Amino acid sequence: MQSYYTLMASLPQLPREFDDGPIPISAATLRHRVSMLDHHDRQTVQQVSDFFRWDRQPRDRSDAEIRATHRRLVAEIRHPLVAQLVHHRFEMRMLVAALRCQRSGLPPPEFPELPLAVWIQRHWDEPCFRLNDRFRWLPRFCQAIEDHQPRRAQWHLFTELWNHWSRWNDQYTFSFESVVLYLARWEILHRWASQNEQCGRQRFHDLVDDILQTGGVNC
Amino acid sequence: MDEPMVEMLGRIGIYAPLFLGAIGSILGCAAGGQAACGAMLDVEGGYGRLIGVSALPSSQTIYGIVVMLSMNGSFQIQAAPGMFAIGTLCGLALLFSGWFQGKCCASAIHATKSKPEVFGLSVAPAAIVEGFAVFAFVFALILAGGLPSAAGGS
Repeated sequence: MQSYYTLMASLPQLPREFDDGPIPISAATLRHRVSMLDHHDRQTVQQVSDFFRWDRQPRDRSDAEIRATHRRLVAEIRHPLVAQLVHHRFEMRMLVAALRCQRSGLPPPEFPELPLAVWIQRHWDEPCFRLNDRFRWLPRFCQAIEDHQPRRAQWHLFTELWNHWSRWNDQYTFSFESVVLYLARWEILHRWASQNEQCGRQRFHDLVDDILQTGGVNC
Repeated sequence: MDEPMVEMLGRIGIYAPLFLGAIGSILGCAAGGQAACGAMLDVEGGYGRLIGVSALPSSQTIYGIVVMLSMNGSFQIQAAPGMFAIGTLCGLALLFSGWFQGKCCASAIHATKSKPEVFGLSVAPAAIVEGFAVFAFVFALILAGGLPSAAGGS
């Protein structure tokens, strides 16, 4: 019986909302803490990290590449929660891609083999693909896109991911699933914080000024 | 049933509260202790109380020792089935209370780490679980007192 008490207790509490304050743990410290896991768990965590790294890349891939990646991940991933996580993320990516194409008057892209793809293709000409009830964030996301507010659209997207994964997390304590969901939610925090580059640069300059003024560093 | 078999059951009943209670304490203290070690990586002070909370499930072993000693007075074959029933069931209650108290302690440590002001309240669930262990312990003593020739019973 594998136990995750030490690892979970060593991780600081994530904020209630992803846009609420700084990231509580740096990437390097998180990597160090996750190294407490055994080999098999580390492999699963690596799959999650690889997926998120792939998910962050610029959108210059072809539809065929994305379909191939989805097929590979479905074949490779054995852990049910990680599979659910990837499935959920792919559904959201697919919806966003479909909305962008619909808005630009393009035909539907080649989606990965998911039941949602069939539905979207069937309701291509309808607003929000008649998915407003199933995905309640969709109208708000569409509105933000209409208003030329990409940051707000991203905020709605991240809010949905954060809330969804937080709800899943409520079912687990001190288990491997809670480790995976912690990493997934940390990824959202990190992505959101990375967007605010201007603020980060200003904060860095302020800190440097503080240190220089207090004589903490000899130049 | 053969007399040696009945005697063996009685002896199992005597040792069961300590044996099962100790297993509960092992599981509980291990869970709490691991959580305390993890929390110590994330906090800057207050280590003592984290370790203190993680040691709460130790009491189940003490209750087991007391019940064992109370039944181990003068062993009578006619009391053996009763000893087996009381000892085993009390031991099981101690095992589960120790195990789950450890989980409560781990959660208390996790909560206290991020919000030190809830320390007292966060330990309350573990104290409630302890209360049930005390019920099992006290009533095992009372019932063992009623067994023929055990612990001064009739």
